[in-house]
Amino acid sequence: MGSDATSASEPLHPAIESLLRFVNEGLLADSEKKVESDTPLFDEGWIDSLKILRLIAFLEVTAGKKIPDALIVMDRFRTIETIAKNFLNQ
Amino acid sequence: MTIHTAFELKPLHPDFLISEDGLFVAGAAGSKLIYALDSKFRRMAFAAGAEERMFPTVIAEETLNRSEYFKSFPESASRVIEPSRKGQYFLSPAVCYHCYELLKNSVLSGETLITCCGKCFRADSADDSHLWEFTMREIVFFGSAAFIREQRDAWKQRIFDLSARLGLAAEVVAASDPFFGAETRGKRLLQQVKELKYELRVQRPSEKDMPLASFNLHERFFTSKFDITIKSGDTLHSGCVAFGLERWCMAMIEKHGVEKALRLVEKVDDLR
Repeated sequence: MGSDATSASEPLHPAIESLLRFVNEGLLADSEKKVESDTPLFDEGWIDSLKILRLIAFLEVTAGKKIPDALIVMDRFRTIETIAKNFLNQ
Repeated sequence: MTIHTAFELKPLHPDFLISEDGLFVAGAAGSKLIYALDSKFRRMAFAAGAEERMFPTVIAEETLNRSEYFKSFPESASRVIEPSRKGQYFLSPAVCYHCYELLKNSVLSGETLITCCGKCFRADSADDSHLWEFTMREIVFFGSAAFIREQRDAWKQRIFDLSARLGLAAEVVAASDPFFGAETRGKRLLQQVKELKYELRVQRPSEKDMPLASFNLHERFFTSKFDITIKSGDTLHSGCVAFGLERWCMAMIEKHGVEKALRLVEKVDDLR
């Protein structure tokens, strides 16, 4: 699960860092749960039906384009890293 | 002059007829094929440890309300008008809702598998692959989240393998159509991303593909709404696998013709 993006020796890419901050300080602000860039986001029920819409809205504003519903699938949304790679060109 | 009515049956194939209103009539060979297919799914369910239950074709409005059926599918259920009965009823849109009602307010002694088969009715659309009335075989699972996922994934593989042995060009894909409790975009997308519903879809000769089976995780949706728990005290999840028997019949006949379809269904070993 680990990757270069999460290793202590290398800083996180700004897109991943900004998404991680949004998820932990925005979506999960009222939760004790915090995620890393490679934590599976949908395994434990942290993201509910409202949070997923907020997450999509954040990605659309950050990327400056609409995300079609058909692209909202596990292969593209598994972790923060996967999301950044697929929607934030990182 | 020929007068066509909505309930008039048109011969789509010598072995089955379908009316404009989505009613299906099987000929001798089509009937034999449907029973042979159901017998196969039923034996597979027993081999997996399921017990069988039989349920009415009608279902109480209260059961569908508790399942939030009308929120998810407002136009789909067909109401039964029978002034002599005390309750309000609909024609069942799926067989598994009866299982949740049956187990309502109960504590299960352990992981539980139930299989059931019945006539189901969905009025929201009608064409030759979306019948108003159809026959559904289901296997419903109750257990931990891990057990349900394990069952769902095993059935996904098992039925895909069966379809390949039956010579059907089918594939298993994550479904994106509305599912239980998916009345808002957020809920629908959450279900989509969590891959709660998969379908086995088969390509038809001259049309778009058609689902033959679905493999579903319900998480705690039904167990919480019907207050079903398990003796171990673990969080109880449910899931189900559902087969549309008329669609399997159509797919097999379209692919192989009746004789070969029957031979294949009888020959293929389903207990592998």
